[in-house]
Amino acid sequence: MKRMVLLFGMLFFALGVFAQGLEYGELYFPKDGMSADAIMRIVYHNKYSLFAQDYKLPDCQILYVDKSGFTRKKEAIRERIVKAGENGLSYKDLVVVTYPTQAKGLAILTWTYEDSAKDQDTWLWIPSLKKIRKISASEGDDAFMGSDFTVEEVSTRGFEDETYKLVGEENFKGYTFEHTKELKFESKPCFVIECTPVKPHWYYSKRKVWVDKETGGNIFDEYYDKNGKVFKTRFIEWVWYEPDTKRYPIQLNLECKDLRTGHRTVILNKDMSYDTELDERRFTIRMLERSKW
Amino acid sequence: MVEAVKFYGKTGGKWIMKLRISMVIMAFLLFLAGTTMAFADEIIGDFVDKINPFEKLELGGYFKNETSLGLRGTSKEFMKINNIFDVKANYVFNDSVEFFTELKTWYDATYDVEGRFRDLSHKEKNIKLRMPIKTEWLRECYFDVYTSKLDLRLGKQQVVWGTTDGVRILDMINPLDYREWTLKPYSESRIPLWMFKAETELTMNSHVQLLLIPDYEPNYYAPAGSPFALRTVVIGAQAAANPYVNITTINEAPERKLENTKIGLRWRNILESGPLSGLEYTLNYLHTYSFASSAYKRVVFPQVTLTRRAEQIDVFGFSFAKSITKGLIGNFGKGWTIRGEFAYTKGGAMNYGTDKTIEGTVDTDQYNYALGFDKNLVDNWAISFQFIQLIADAKDKFSDGYTLLFGPTRGPLDKIETMATCKISTSFMHERVKPELLIIYGDDNDWRISPKVNFEVNDNWLLTAGLHIFEGKETQLNGQFDDNDQVFLEAKYSW
Repeated sequence: MKRMVLLFGMLFFALGVFAQGLEYGELYFPKDGMSADAIMRIVYHNKYSLFAQDYKLPDCQILYVDKSGFTRKKEAIRERIVKAGENGLSYKDLVVVTYPTQAKGLAILTWTYEDSAKDQDTWLWIPSLKKIRKISASEGDDAFMGSDFTVEEVSTRGFEDETYKLVGEENFKGYTFEHTKELKFESKPCFVIECTPVKPHWYYSKRKVWVDKETGGNIFDEYYDKNGKVFKTRFIEWVWYEPDTKRYPIQLNLECKDLRTGHRTVILNKDMSYDTELDERRFTIRMLERSKW
Repeated sequence: MVEAVKFYGKTGGKWIMKLRISMVIMAFLLFLAGTTMAFADEIIGDFVDKINPFEKLELGGYFKNETSLGLRGTSKEFMKINNIFDVKANYVFNDSVEFFTELKTWYDATYDVEGRFRDLSHKEKNIKLRMPIKTEWLRECYFDVYTSKLDLRLGKQQVVWGTTDGVRILDMINPLDYREWTLKPYSESRIPLWMFKAETELTMNSHVQLLLIPDYEPNYYAPAGSPFALRTVVIGAQAAANPYVNITTINEAPERKLENTKIGLRWRNILESGPLSGLEYTLNYLHTYSFASSAYKRVVFPQVTLTRRAEQIDVFGFSFAKSITKGLIGNFGKGWTIRGEFAYTKGGAMNYGTDKTIEGTVDTDQYNYALGFDKNLVDNWAISFQFIQLIADAKDKFSDGYTLLFGPTRGPLDKIETMATCKISTSFMHERVKPELLIIYGDDNDWRISPKVNFEVNDNWLLTAGLHIFEGKETQLNGQFDDNDQVFLEAKYSW
């Protein structure tokens, strides 16, 4: 009888863990035979670096390129500490703009909760006001820092925001990364998953995602409008980060193209590091107030 | 044509000429900004980086032109042709010690270009208006010392308390420069003070701040005759010009002595868990001197002695800010941020009397509060609304027929003054174009409406154009500048 209780107990525990998603600090990779849901859980796990304790990106460049080639640039530092469910928090994020000078010092501290129905808490250090402002969460379909990426693509979209269908498996045709004109990921084995937003009348009717079988990263997205026409593409260069004995999938370069306007946004990440034992104090508003610009 | 002549009156030709001049300036700035569009790289910034011999020294700054043109009344003239040069430098000694300074200087050509300022005295024009006051060129200058649980900042700096925008409830640490009324952002109009700031950690998200401020500066006001001279200043100047009375003014500002050191204390906490997670709140106490002095009048005809005294006051207050991250019922309320602050000021004093006339001075406590509501709407639109009440409580009775007087206008002050602000903003073209509308309303039908648009030409150039429209009675905050409606253009090159 005791064994039966233990068995049921373990079963319920396992179901509970499954229902909540994947475990923090663990690495997962998609495998043949997995459902679309299981694959997408891995994609989100990797997207938010939940396999690591913390994440540091000292050099992030965002390039805004219009149809004529005219380019504006922003540079930022990004850091993240994974809270792994402590006090209901999933992770804390800090972004500090370092360029251009007119936006320099702008710092955004974000707390993201495990509860997917809960918005992020966000504090902003505004250099022009020399003060911290608690701000409302941006709408998911707003542009992220004026780029072609939406806020949800960068920071808020979670597993629960879409339903998934495995369309098939194929070798990716390759993507020409316009910033360097390089053809990337040609013939990369991928799962192809169709994602439909849960919200009605959302800014896209569905998206088709190519998930790299090796890294579990979504290397390419096609966004469809309500007429079934592709209006936007997003490319993410997932590579391996391999210091010491670790092997983490990370996002190196990203490119998002608005096919209607010809505008594109390129994000170039350099010198990322993980598990550097970042002090959680870095994610407090006391640190925001250290800003001088 | 007849209508046009009526409108322009005798000064029509002059008005058109000035409009043309301003158009030429605008066109020149636009041309200048446009020609640099091709250069996405930062020319000056790169040059400074090359000549900077110190690896640990970070430099930045800007040039800025601010031009505004009056639109009506007697002010169809330039109200500002201000050219600003600003440099910031930060030197990192090591992970724990840094030095920062900001130098700023400016020249406003208006007071040389416009004939109407001819009558201003040399002191008023050159010292009070055109040239930086005292050490105003040294905006900030301080050392930072960082440890894991304690941050120290020692030097000339500005410290901001509170959660409201553009309204001073708890933001009472630094005085303000009102020479352009409240048209400039507070970060530019706050007057930095020499002080010691320590911020220590109690728990991860709970901090105590201590301020020791030996320095004192009063608020700066524009002299009579300049565009944004307060009504009370104008009335004072008119009285001083009366040949039948002799006015002597005594300024009683606190001396820079140890016992006059101002003290500030703030406890700030953020809840990390529970249903109120993300709630940020503060408890504040400030022992300080009023930046706007109280006037004590003594009349022994024909001698009038006016003593301007910076009253010692104590401010007790709190503030809070909370984003509704989960709907209160369903999704109701989700996405709104609610913020507020309250301050009880003890020990102040106010004048009483009738419009324009000070009869006496009475001890007055103040209870001021503000509530703010913000939300990001669809398609990058955002709205921010604030409701403010300022309540004055005279501690002694004075005769019927008199009221408390509004400091800036010397007009009758209601026991409760109510104000509201609303800001609507958005962006287009990948945040290159940012329109914004600010509306400030005060009871008694007092208004300021300020639409503006920012255009980011490239990484270095930012152009801003907009209007300031003032409406209301001369006894009210914005109504006193009813004739100061203006169109403005700013061009800023940051490096």
